[in-house]
Amino acid sequence: MIEPPLDVLDSYRQEAGLSHQELWLRYFELGGMSTGFELEAFLYGMISPTAHDHDVIAHAINERFAELGGDHPVAYLCGANAD
Amino acid sequence: MSLIQDPSSFDAITTFEGQDAVVALCGKVENLAASELSAALNATIDRHPTSVVLDLTELDFMGAAGMVAVADAEKRLATEGIKLTVRSPSALVSDLLAMLETAEETRLEVELPEHDHLGPEQQGRAPVVSQRVGSSMAADDLRRLTAMPADPDVVDGALRLIVELARTSVVGADGVSISLQRHGRLSTVAASDQTILAMDADQYSTGEGPCVDASLKGHWFHAESLATETRWPAFTPKAQELGIKAIMSSPLTSLDRPVGALNIYSRTASTFEIRDQEAAAGFAAKASAILSDAQVGVSDTQMAMRFQEALRSRDVVALAKGVIMEREGIDEDEAFTALLRLSLEHGEALRESAAATVRSVVQAEIVRSVPND
Repeated sequence: MIEPPLDVLDSYRQEAGLSHQELWLRYFELGGMSTGFELEAFLYGMISPTAHDHDVIAHAINERFAELGGDHPVAYLCGANAD
Repeated sequence: MSLIQDPSSFDAITTFEGQDAVVALCGKVENLAASELSAALNATIDRHPTSVVLDLTELDFMGAAGMVAVADAEKRLATEGIKLTVRSPSALVSDLLAMLETAEETRLEVELPEHDHLGPEQQGRAPVVSQRVGSSMAADDLRRLTAMPADPDVVDGALRLIVELARTSVVGADGVSISLQRHGRLSTVAASDQTILAMDADQYSTGEGPCVDASLKGHWFHAESLATETRWPAFTPKAQELGIKAIMSSPLTSLDRPVGALNIYSRTASTFEIRDQEAAAGFAAKASAILSDAQVGVSDTQMAMRFQEALRSRDVVALAKGVIMEREGIDEDEAFTALLRLSLEHGEALRESAAATVRSVVQAEIVRSVPND
């Protein structure tokens, strides 16, 4: 029943209550260069984003968590939230 | 996630106790199996049961088409005056809610064969300091943004399922409804019973109440005990006449704009605990994601304005990255990381850090350009 979590980013997206298109808009605002379709593929773990793309997506989700009064639960690959 | 669909991976087992039917679904209802589910539900309804219980305790997954099949069956049952109850243990509720996201997955499955450029070579692009968005990327996404699956059947089916799940999983919930603003007016689009329909109607007619406030102001409202409630003097006595003692209304948003509310009432005062409040917020978040994807309550003009706003933010971020690249002699990705660290340090949104970075340069330029006396 339990499968390896390929869609960790998508779980965070769901938890943050963001639709795919809202997340894409936020990712785009932060300078993200991938299309909405590619973003969905990253979220579902079908293809791996570059470290930079991963961090832009992570931050787009984290900013939503921050707006909701929460922390930044999605880890950055650049280590920014491990400081 | 598997994109291969195996329609034989689920079973619908109908048992009758007298005239009460229980339809137990096991396995995965992939989209291709939806017609099978539809047939099973219709065969059950054809036997004119007095009630139908849809047992999802053994269900692992249901695609969007399966939800539409359930929604259609519910519509048919409603016209024949038969109530549909969804049975699911609370542990499954979260999984089930994840299923509601599958309207999006369906889209992904449909689009996949048309995209053959998903290799890693697509990911590494040349850094651009301040790119203009006349690119096909933005055009594609604009099309996507305006061509989301806004099928009202899927949306309504999903909302009804959320209402039913919230009623069965929020302890102390006696009734649940969803109100939405349509054509500038609030109306109830899904309700678990007549009492909550009457309660919602009382709020629309008096123009006040937790549901109205949550829908219009986008805030969360909890009337712990109507006996001591003072915020809605015209509405509160009407709700009390209906036997309602406590109400929780959580705002629903579509693309960050308040468009409605998820309302839960109880006949017992002070019954909603923290975990119930969190569950309500969770259901509201799921409903909001569905509404956002269907762009419910969002006009083309508003969508265009939101996109313009996104473009403005993107420009500022790009400018700030350019400033940092020039100042620190680093590449674009590193400049983004620097901005990211700045925003985390200051506890502000990244676009605010970006704006401050750009301002600092502009101010420095002004200082430089003022001649010294």
